[in-house]
Amino acid sequence: MLRQVYINKTVLDAARERVSYVFDEFDNIIVSVSGGKDSTVLAHLALSEAHRRERRIGVFFLDEEVVYDSTIKQIEYILSLYPKNTIPLWIQMEFALTNATSLIESQLICWEAGKHKIWMRPKQANSIKFPPWDRKKETIRDKNKGFGFYDALDNFQNSRENTAFLVGLRATESPNRWRAVSKNPGYKDVFWCTKMKHGNVSMYPLYDWNFHDIWKYIYDNQLKYSNIYDYMYKKGMGLQEIRVSSLIHEKSFKALVELPEFEPKTYNRLLKRIKGISIGNLYGKDSKMLRVSKLPKNFKTWIAYRDFLLATYPDPERKPIFEKRFVRHLNNRYVARQQCRQLVLNDYENNLPVDNKPDPREAMIEKWRALL
Amino acid sequence: MIIKTKKGPVKLPLLDVRVVPIGQVQANNYNPNAVASNNMDLLEESILSNGFCFAIVTVWDPDSEKYIIVDGFHRYLIFRDYLEAKELPIIVLEHDISQRMAATVQFNRARGVHQVELMGDLVQALVQQGVDDEDIAQRLGMEAEEVFRLKQITGIAELFKNQLYSKAWEMQEVPDDI
Repeated sequence: MLRQVYINKTVLDAARERVSYVFDEFDNIIVSVSGGKDSTVLAHLALSEAHRRERRIGVFFLDEEVVYDSTIKQIEYILSLYPKNTIPLWIQMEFALTNATSLIESQLICWEAGKHKIWMRPKQANSIKFPPWDRKKETIRDKNKGFGFYDALDNFQNSRENTAFLVGLRATESPNRWRAVSKNPGYKDVFWCTKMKHGNVSMYPLYDWNFHDIWKYIYDNQLKYSNIYDYMYKKGMGLQEIRVSSLIHEKSFKALVELPEFEPKTYNRLLKRIKGISIGNLYGKDSKMLRVSKLPKNFKTWIAYRDFLLATYPDPERKPIFEKRFVRHLNNRYVARQQCRQLVLNDYENNLPVDNKPDPREAMIEKWRALL
Repeated sequence: MIIKTKKGPVKLPLLDVRVVPIGQVQANNYNPNAVASNNMDLLEESILSNGFCFAIVTVWDPDSEKYIIVDGFHRYLIFRDYLEAKELPIIVLEHDISQRMAATVQFNRARGVHQVELMGDLVQALVQQGVDDEDIAQRLGMEAEEVFRLKQITGIAELFKNQLYSKAWEMQEVPDDI
């Protein structure tokens, strides 16, 4: 049986050994960064090792355009740590992002050609501005969704071979993903990695780090980190919830509520860039609007609300996507509430899948009816 | 009196303030604005320390023979219930019902938010002027904890400096009977 066994080392010593192992085994190493705290620590560990060994490694950032300015500053900082040991791989090319705040403009093509006047910021001088892979071999996961973030990621990785991609995945942060990747060794006898095509491997040297280890490392090494963490802390928010990625997808739009207080300029640019931003700002945490946790007072049931939302859904091209999907679902209040959420957040991509099962509340009522 | 601007003349109803018995003023029945109790206390504090700086905006309703509030309902509540005042300064607009509703929302929503970082600087400045934390909390309508958080300029990394690193672990094949 595969189990988690404590070894007599600190996570820091263990991570240094793991990074050193990767340098021994691979000639080509690329560390993926998001601007968040975990990838900052990972990049620092990897770049320090590259510096010691006088080698160069790639620092990969897939730029979604609609991100905090603080995220961009953080990427610039990471690239400035050991410039002689760094190969910047800052990708600024077109791909589709979900915009959960608008029913009309449900996708944003980041860095869209012809819209450079309203881009959040100009492209970096040293960035990669066009797909660095063979367009004829380009793959796409789901044609309905269009070429998105993960497609850009897949194609970038597939354009390389025998490369170790270092990723800041931590087991305590993403237990489900960890369970999925750690079932089998992905490279030789190493469990903390996933095998990919062309001899590439995705590796997770920080997998056993806890939240406080990350912060201690940042403090001990006097690293800079994204301002967003301090802003959110000052607002009394849980540090665990903070994400530094795209501000508009179905899991991050809540960030728009505080954005004008943190980065008013970013917010203003976003308002001009895409529709729905002020809705995300005003109602991002509203239980009857974008959270869809309370039923609006003019509807008797979630089923009635769902039918109304579907009947009035404004995009005729995408309406059948919902209709076809919902036909396959059970018709109860529990399912209907989740369908309402998909409709309100315009989730035609099905990023927030519906838990299609009998209403647990009805089962409980039945049980008590039988007892009484 | 008016002031000329690039986009035409702007009327100045604020110059026609009248003080009326508070009983002649009445709330409207559509105001969606809600003020939390901590901010009501702050509003009271503001009126006591700054005086009543902006008149309540109303329209005259001939049916009920009352001035109906377009903007300033919560200041009216402070005067009526918290301070038990007998009179209230108002200005009167000539608006029909749809104009009134629009005006209410315009007054409520066309406002800014405070940038967290600059609020932090502001609190720092007050501290340097010798105002103590409790006084800052009272004057700015904050909880003690908000003052504390805004005062922390060290950043979050500092909070974790005395932690020890966790023990590392591995995935290992172990016999099933353990």
